[in-house]
Amino acid sequence: MQLVYVGWDHHGAPLDLRERLALSPERAVEALRGLFEEQILTEGAIVSTCNRAEIYGLTERDDDFGALASYFSRFHSVDGDWLLRTAQSGRGDATVRHLFRVSAGLDSMVLGEAQILGQVREAHRVASAAKTTRAVTNRLFQAAVECGKRVRSETTLGTRPTSVAGIALALAGKIFETLTDKKVLLIGAGEMAELTTRLLVDDGVSDLAFCNRSEDKARALAQASNGRFVPWDRRVAAFAEVDVVLSATGSPEPIVTAEQLKKALHRRRGPLLVLDLAVPRDIDPAVDDLSDVYRYDVDALKGLAEKNAAERHADVPKAEAIVEESVARFDVWWSGLNQAGVLRGLHDKLEAMRRAELEKYAGKLSRLSEEDRRTVERLTETLVHKILHEPTVGLKEGDASERLERAAAVKALFKLEDER
Amino acid sequence: MAALGLSHTALGILALTAYALGAAGYAVNLLRPAPLAARAATVLSAAGVLLNFAALYRRASELHSVPYRDLLGSMALFGFFLGLLNLVLEARHRDRSLGAFLIPTALVFLLASMLITPQSRPAGPELRGSVFALHVTLNMLAYAAFAVACALSALYLVVRRYLKSVRLLGMDGPASRLPTLGYLERANRTSLGVGVLALAAGLILGIFWATRVWGAEHPRWALDPKVLVALLTLVFYAVITLRAHRGAAPVTTARLTVAGFLLVLVSYTAINLLFSRLHVFT
Repeated sequence: MQLVYVGWDHHGAPLDLRERLALSPERAVEALRGLFEEQILTEGAIVSTCNRAEIYGLTERDDDFGALASYFSRFHSVDGDWLLRTAQSGRGDATVRHLFRVSAGLDSMVLGEAQILGQVREAHRVASAAKTTRAVTNRLFQAAVECGKRVRSETTLGTRPTSVAGIALALAGKIFETLTDKKVLLIGAGEMAELTTRLLVDDGVSDLAFCNRSEDKARALAQASNGRFVPWDRRVAAFAEVDVVLSATGSPEPIVTAEQLKKALHRRRGPLLVLDLAVPRDIDPAVDDLSDVYRYDVDALKGLAEKNAAERHADVPKAEAIVEESVARFDVWWSGLNQAGVLRGLHDKLEAMRRAELEKYAGKLSRLSEEDRRTVERLTETLVHKILHEPTVGLKEGDASERLERAAAVKALFKLEDER
Repeated sequence: MAALGLSHTALGILALTAYALGAAGYAVNLLRPAPLAARAATVLSAAGVLLNFAALYRRASELHSVPYRDLLGSMALFGFFLGLLNLVLEARHRDRSLGAFLIPTALVFLLASMLITPQSRPAGPELRGSVFALHVTLNMLAYAAFAVACALSALYLVVRRYLKSVRLLGMDGPASRLPTLGYLERANRTSLGVGVLALAAGLILGIFWATRVWGAEHPRWALDPKVLVALLTLVFYAVITLRAHRGAAPVTTARLTVAGFLLVLVSYTAINLLFSRLHVFT
C-alpha cells in the first residue's frame, strides 16, 4: 500500500488537455467514487484548477499509474496515450513532496501565487465532505495546508505582488487606508482599463469615472460598471475630483502636462495616485514635483514587479527546506502506521505493564511456592496474548485505508509514540 | 488597586519594565510582522500606562498635592499621556506601528523623571487647588498631543519619501510597514486638534489662577518668558491646525508640525530651566 499521485499540469499538459480534464467539485467526487468502485484507490482527493488536474490517493495496486490513466481516459473520453505521455506522477515521498510544493506555490506558473493554497484547502474540504478522504489523505492535505501557510509566513513567497496590477493595488494600499470610499478615474478604454476596472471593483471601489477620446467606448465602460462618464476635454479638471487616476491611452504624446495639473490641483487636498500604464507615457513625468502627486509609470511598476519576483526566487531554497521538513514530519507519522511497528509497540507497552504489575506485587508473590509463581507468570502472559489477539487480526483486515485507520486508532488509544 | 500598596518608585520601575517590553514588541512587529509580539506589546503598554498612573497617584497621596507640580512629576505625567494617546490611536485606527515610536518616548520621559531628585518641599496652599491641577494636566496633555503629532508628521514625511522613491528602493523594508499616508494625515489633524484645545483651556485656567494667586504679588506675571512662549505656541499650532482643516498641503502641515514641536521643547525645557524666574517648578 502506498500514497500515489497522477496529475496533468502546466509543466507537461497543454491547455486544451487541461481544459478537458478540469472537474467541478461534484464531478471530482463522482470520479473518486468510480476509482473506489474499481478498487484503484481506497481513499483520495482531486485538486482541479486552471493550471492542474491532480489526483492524490492511497492504493494497493502495483499498476496504479496505468490504472489511473486508463480510468481518466474513460472518465473524460480522452486518448489514454495522450494522458500517459503528458502526466506527472509519483509514489510515496514523491507524492507528499509534490502536494506540499503545490500548496506552497513552488509548482505554480507564477511562483508563490496566493490562490493555490485556498484551492488545495477547498479540494480537501470537498473530498472530506463526500467522505472520499480518510485517515491518510486527511493527514496529507492538512499537512500540505500547514506547509503552504508556513512557507507564506516565513518566506517572501506570496507576500509581494509580482504583476503590474498587483503592484498598483499594493501602492494604493500604502497611500490610502481603504480603496472602497475612493474615487477612481480611468482614462483610455482598452484592455488594460477593462482589466484594472475589474480588479478595482473586486477590491471594493464603487466610484468609477471613465474618460476616453472616443466617447462611445468610455460611455459603454461607464454603463457596464455603474460608473460616470467624463468628457475628454474635462480630463485635466477631473484629476482634482478623484483620488486615483489610471491612464492607458494610445496617445503618442502626454495627455496631461505638469503645468495643467498644477493649476487643476490648486485647491485639491490629499494624496493623488497616478498610474500611467501607457507607452509612450500619458502623464508628464514632471508632475512628480507636485507634493501630493504619487506617479508611477509602466517602467516603475514593471521594475518593482521584477524586483519582487527576483526576491521571491531568492527565497526558493528556504521554501524548499520548509517543504522537506514537512515531508520528513509526515514520514515519521506514516512510518508510525506500519502494521508490524504498531503491533510491536502495542506488545512492548502491554509487556512493560505486565512486568511493572508483577514487580509491584513481588513481595506478596515471594510468599507463593515456585510453581504458583510460575502459574501467575503464565497467567499474565496469556492475558497479554489474548488482549493482543483481536488488534493483531483487526490490523490485517479490510482495505489499506481501513488498516491504516485502525493502526492510527490503536496508536492514539494506547498513546504509542512514533519511532524517529 | 493592590498595586497602590507599593511606593511610587516601585510602581515607576514596574511601569518602566512594562513600557520597555511593550516597546520591544512594537519594534519587533515593525521590523517583521509578528502578531503575537504585537498583541503582547499592546497588553504590556496598557499595563505600563496603568502602572504609570498608579505611580502618579501614589506620589500625589504622598505629597498631598498634584504629583506633577515639579519637573519629576510633570515628566512622568507626560510619559503617561504619550502611552495613553498611543493606546487611543491604536484602538481607533487598528494600527500598531506608532507604538514603536511613542512607547520608547514615554519610557524615556518616565525614566528621566525617576532620575531627577524629587523636591522635598511640601506644596504651598496655592498649589493645592483644582484650578492649578487642571491647568497643569491640560498643558501636559497638550504637549503630549503635540509630541504625538510630531511623531505622526515625521512618519508622514518618511512614508512620503518612501513612496516618491519606491521605484528605486523596492517595496520592502520597515518603511513599507508604516501606516498609510491617509491615516497619518488624519491622525495628525486629530492630535493637533486635541493639543490646541487642551493648551487653550490650560492657558485660560492658568491666567485665571495667576490673576488670583500672583495678581498682587507679581503684577508682571504675564511677561514671564514661559507664559509668552506658551501663548506663541498656542497661536502657532492653532494656525497650523486651522490651515490643515481648511485643506493645506499635508506635507506642509507635517513639516510645520515637526518644526512646531521644537518650539514646545524650547518652552518645556530651556525656558523652564534657564529663563523663567517666576514660572518654575517649585
